[in-house]
Amino acid sequence: MTLSIDGLMPSCIVSVPMLSALLITFVPFRAQRRVARLSVGMSALTFILSAALLFSYVANPRPQWLSSGWAWGSLYLDPLSSVMAIAVAGISLVVHVYAVRYMAEEPGYARFYTLLDLMTGTILLMVSAGDLITLLVAWHLIGVLLYFLLGHDLERPAAQRYAFWTFFTYRIGDLPLILAAVLLYKAYGTFSLPELFERIAATPDAYLVFGMPLTIAVGLLVALSAFARSAQFPLHTWLPYTMEGPTPVSALMHAGIVNAGGFVINRFAPVLMHAGAVLHLVFAVGLVTAVMGSILMLTQNDIKKSLGYSTMGQMGFMFVECGVGAFSLAIYHLIAHGLFKGTLFLGAGSVISDARKQDGVPHDDVYTFVVERKPVASRLPWMLAALVTVVVPFLVLGLSRWLVGGNFVGQQGAIILLFFGWATGAQLLFSTYRLRAENPWRTMAMIVLSLAIVVAGYTLIERAFDLFMYPDRAIRERIYAAASIPPAIFDPLVAILTLAIVAGWFATYYTVATGKPRSADTSPARLALYSLVSREFYAADVYALLAQTVLALSKRMNVWSRWL
Amino acid sequence: MMKLLIAALFLPLFPLSIALNGLLVRMGNPAARFLLLLLWPQIGVFILHAARQPVPEGFVAWSLLSSAFYALRLLTVRDLGLWAGFLASSSLSLIWARHGANDFDMHIFAFWFSLPSALLFLLAGALARRFGAAYSGLYGGLARSAPRLSGLLAFTLLAAIATPPSPGFFAMLELLRREDTAPALLFIWLLWGWAAIWLMQGFLSGRNDSDPAKDIGRGGTLLFACILGVMVFASLYLKGGSL
Repeated sequence: MTLSIDGLMPSCIVSVPMLSALLITFVPFRAQRRVARLSVGMSALTFILSAALLFSYVANPRPQWLSSGWAWGSLYLDPLSSVMAIAVAGISLVVHVYAVRYMAEEPGYARFYTLLDLMTGTILLMVSAGDLITLLVAWHLIGVLLYFLLGHDLERPAAQRYAFWTFFTYRIGDLPLILAAVLLYKAYGTFSLPELFERIAATPDAYLVFGMPLTIAVGLLVALSAFARSAQFPLHTWLPYTMEGPTPVSALMHAGIVNAGGFVINRFAPVLMHAGAVLHLVFAVGLVTAVMGSILMLTQNDIKKSLGYSTMGQMGFMFVECGVGAFSLAIYHLIAHGLFKGTLFLGAGSVISDARKQDGVPHDDVYTFVVERKPVASRLPWMLAALVTVVVPFLVLGLSRWLVGGNFVGQQGAIILLFFGWATGAQLLFSTYRLRAENPWRTMAMIVLSLAIVVAGYTLIERAFDLFMYPDRAIRERIYAAASIPPAIFDPLVAILTLAIVAGWFATYYTVATGKPRSADTSPARLALYSLVSREFYAADVYALLAQTVLALSKRMNVWSRWL
Repeated sequence: MMKLLIAALFLPLFPLSIALNGLLVRMGNPAARFLLLLLWPQIGVFILHAARQPVPEGFVAWSLLSSAFYALRLLTVRDLGLWAGFLASSSLSLIWARHGANDFDMHIFAFWFSLPSALLFLLAGALARRFGAAYSGLYGGLARSAPRLSGLLAFTLLAAIATPPSPGFFAMLELLRREDTAPALLFIWLLWGWAAIWLMQGFLSGRNDSDPAKDIGRGGTLLFACILGVMVFASLYLKGGSL
């Protein structure tokens, strides 16, 4: 190991939380508060070290590989690991502080902090792993530790059941990554990540496995692993039910652990940039997950479960970003999502408690619209509102993009992301129309202004982030090129989707403007859709059936061969 | 071929595995079971090398089927002793997929796969002495009433299903180098995980108001933890984590 400050810092970031876990386990603390003090202090130290590491990297942007002297145990300091380390350490610190009082009444206080510290150290080891084996070991252990954290309440059967679901899904995600690592080692003869990526760049298509190029096979395995880890459809069922675990664990999981899929896709970017077909699959799975997660989020009446499905939807968007080649945007997204989702989880208990005493909803335009359903004060002319909805987001997004990179029209990934941004912005403006405010012009102007600020800010930060994460322009372009779809398919698809969405908006505006009553349709198709959504697309039911079948087979085998 | 079949008795392939499982069931003493499970596969490896003939590919397919069969059976076994025997049958049969390696590697390979299962026999004995049976789901709540025993049980079970950084994990990495057998191996590995967590939950979770004095002593815990620690460090030292 290099004994410079730069070399020691990544090792310290990983070992400080581990040391904390060891001390809590082996030093007999008499008071709970001493356990908490030690753990929070170590967590704060980890955060400070992570921040120092990031600043040090920004000052001297040169990736470093730190060997342990063995075949594994090396660390890799690069933009991805330095950014992820500070995000993980920051979220972990907040969770540590929150848990001091939240867990005070729970049995197993020291055990909880030991597991939390081990989890923090293991995630940090994963993000800074410099070789395949270290990555696999950390990847594996996260699933195991998460199982124990989610099942912290040993007397609640539900907590144990859903901890088991999570563990099993994580195992499904662990195994493809192991196979991917073994295939890479067999083909390129090294565990070291930087060395491996150099060899892949030199000869990406030199090997065939399972009848396909190695990069495609490995890319597919990495993507499968990421799907399970980040709750992509149909491997999503564990995520909304993990609320049975303690709230600090839910916060840590939704803000940090579940984002591992986006991380691993970025880590294997040098492989995936040669596997365009896999990126298309990632896009499709992400899109389906985003849509399903959003639908299920809207149909929940439990705030924590709703947040769980919201995470699923966000993970879907993150994979959409990866699928279009916007890898660094996915990392930016996962950090931003981690921060706001962590805040929401940690605040959910207080919101529920406050709402029981007083709903706290201000009696403004939103209240009168949603709760009192009062008749309209005034609204914009429908045709004008429809045109603003269609045109304004397009202009805001287009101008922002043009400011940071003039040639974005040539990048399919950017177009798809703009398309999503446009649809989201338009939905927001459409809500303004439906809101029926006292002063619709003022409300519309404020929302357009907010939209412009958010989009411009987001675009500028995302651009800066992209340049930091992937400073080599050739790599950025190579990733976007791999994610691109043949123009003969892409252009008509975008045109058809745009026309369909615009026609839908116009039709909806027209219907709302003419004041037609909402249909109380109870057709079989609607009822089928309702049952499909209320049963959460039957995914959990299908898995339960499969599990019962396997268990029945196992029982039968044990009965038949009881003498063997 | 006869020598290979004799080896299949010791590196247990179904239905020849009946000999090992039958002996393990009939032996009451946990220490005897522990020793038997450590020695049995070593004899198998010795015979396999003494045979000095290439192992037909059919044996590899047979070993995978046998391993999957026992892995599937593990899912609904609740007796810890029986479970450990089945896991040993499942994992030790995988040694056939490693044929061709040198003598030392094969012996070490067999040792790493048999040791965690053998340790489970000792824990099954400790549980049976305290609670009358080592049966998952019968009493539960051990994590609260016997934290040391349940900690050791959790660590040993995780080591037995090749969780890193246990030696089994690196052994499985070695096995996965064969592309044709890799999907079957991953399936078997998945079943091990499922079965182990299912079993562990039956012991650790739930409510148990039994006497905390039923937990094992500090000395025993330390000794057992040292064996687990030495197992991990020896594996890392010998192989350095390499394939």
